[in-house]
Amino acid sequence: MVTSIFGTFRDELDRHHDRRERIIKTSRDITALSKKIIFSLQRVRSLNCPLPPAIAKDTSARLAQIVELFRSVVPDVTGINSWRYQRQLSGGIQEFIEALSFNHYVQFQTLITLEEIRRQLPAEILVTEEDYIMGLFDLTGEMMRFAVTSLSAGMAGIVVDLRGMRSSFESLSVPHRYGMLRDLSKKLDIMQGSVEKVERAAYGILVRGSERPSGWVPDLSGPAEVESF
Amino acid sequence: MIDKSIFEHLQTKIDEEGAVRDELHEIVQTLARKGRATQATLSRAHSTPSDQLKPVLDEATKEILGQKEEVLRLKAVADKHPFYKYNGLWTRELQNLVFSIELCAWLGGLEDHKSGTAQFMTIEEVGKFLEIPVNLKEQDAFHLTIEEYLLALISMVEELARLAVNSVTLGDYARPLQIGNFIKDLFAGFQLLNLKNDILRKRSDSIKYSVKKVEDVVYDLSLRNLVPKNA
Repeated sequence: MVTSIFGTFRDELDRHHDRRERIIKTSRDITALSKKIIFSLQRVRSLNCPLPPAIAKDTSARLAQIVELFRSVVPDVTGINSWRYQRQLSGGIQEFIEALSFNHYVQFQTLITLEEIRRQLPAEILVTEEDYIMGLFDLTGEMMRFAVTSLSAGMAGIVVDLRGMRSSFESLSVPHRYGMLRDLSKKLDIMQGSVEKVERAAYGILVRGSERPSGWVPDLSGPAEVESF
Repeated sequence: MIDKSIFEHLQTKIDEEGAVRDELHEIVQTLARKGRATQATLSRAHSTPSDQLKPVLDEATKEILGQKEEVLRLKAVADKHPFYKYNGLWTRELQNLVFSIELCAWLGGLEDHKSGTAQFMTIEEVGKFLEIPVNLKEQDAFHLTIEEYLLALISMVEELARLAVNSVTLGDYARPLQIGNFIKDLFAGFQLLNLKNDILRKRSDSIKYSVKKVEDVVYDLSLRNLVPKNA
């Protein structure tokens, strides 16, 4: 009797582990593609205007790949399973939101809404408010990098936007029993750091900007060394 | 330009979800408090000879039925939301309750709810007793999961290993053999599972130590010819 009961349990647990592993793998692939999108967007030198064709092509190809990955995982996350594996897929979703919102910000200088993000994905994919908040937190980091590497291009505007986001994040009140947002305070610290870096950079341009040869842009042959600011 | 209304909307969502969590948390707290009382009653089995267990089991049954009311209250609220979204809030207490039910049944209580000569209740029997569904795969509703059930069985194995030792102290030399046979059966069952690195794996590792503990007791008894002939 015990053997037959446990035999059934084994089959079910095996199916559960298989689903879980497939989802984790997909989530990692989505994360990797999203990071590549972010890297190429960091090479853009202008704000609030259409992307250069090469980067636009690159980005939209990768976004299409990501949507395809999400589509492949749909059978594993339908119905009751959507929340069951939410945590496994959440990493990929947050990175995707970071890429998508950065892509949106660079072109339009506004925040993409949660609804707009959901519309890009199959309806079965669960995009939670927490994912959105976490993705936007990471967006502030990208905005900071973008601001300090592109220097004057849109710097003043980015400073204003970052301050706006900072104060909005700070005014969110989250009860401590809240599941997903436990590492919220860590994210807040990182974001405050980003905002300050950009504020200092803006200050630097104002004070020393006149000493900079006109048309000078930072050397982008190596990785962006934002910490040295 | 940052649209502040985005954040206002998020705050509304956070508040709504906080309210749901508070509501569930309050029920789970009550379930936990009643659960501690049940477990205190059941732990009297360690110091009560088996022929005098009846009153202990009757009291435990009454307390378990009290917990069942809370589970039904929980179900009513939880059914309004996606199951796995909030499952983490109550899973621990539900496991504890199933553990109490299984232990009580093993000790001879809840006779009407287990089939024939079986020493434990199957997941279906537990579900029927609690009037909740079990192991739902399609429908998104409150239920007892396989993992929760298995974790409760592991707790029972650990508790029975302790009971084997205490039975000897009470002068009951037959029970350690019964316990030994039973948990070896369950151990064989758990060995059929392909466990990954998760909580079930970690907890089920303890079964082999429980088996060894009971085997040591049985060994000591048989070495000294203390095992009853008819056991």
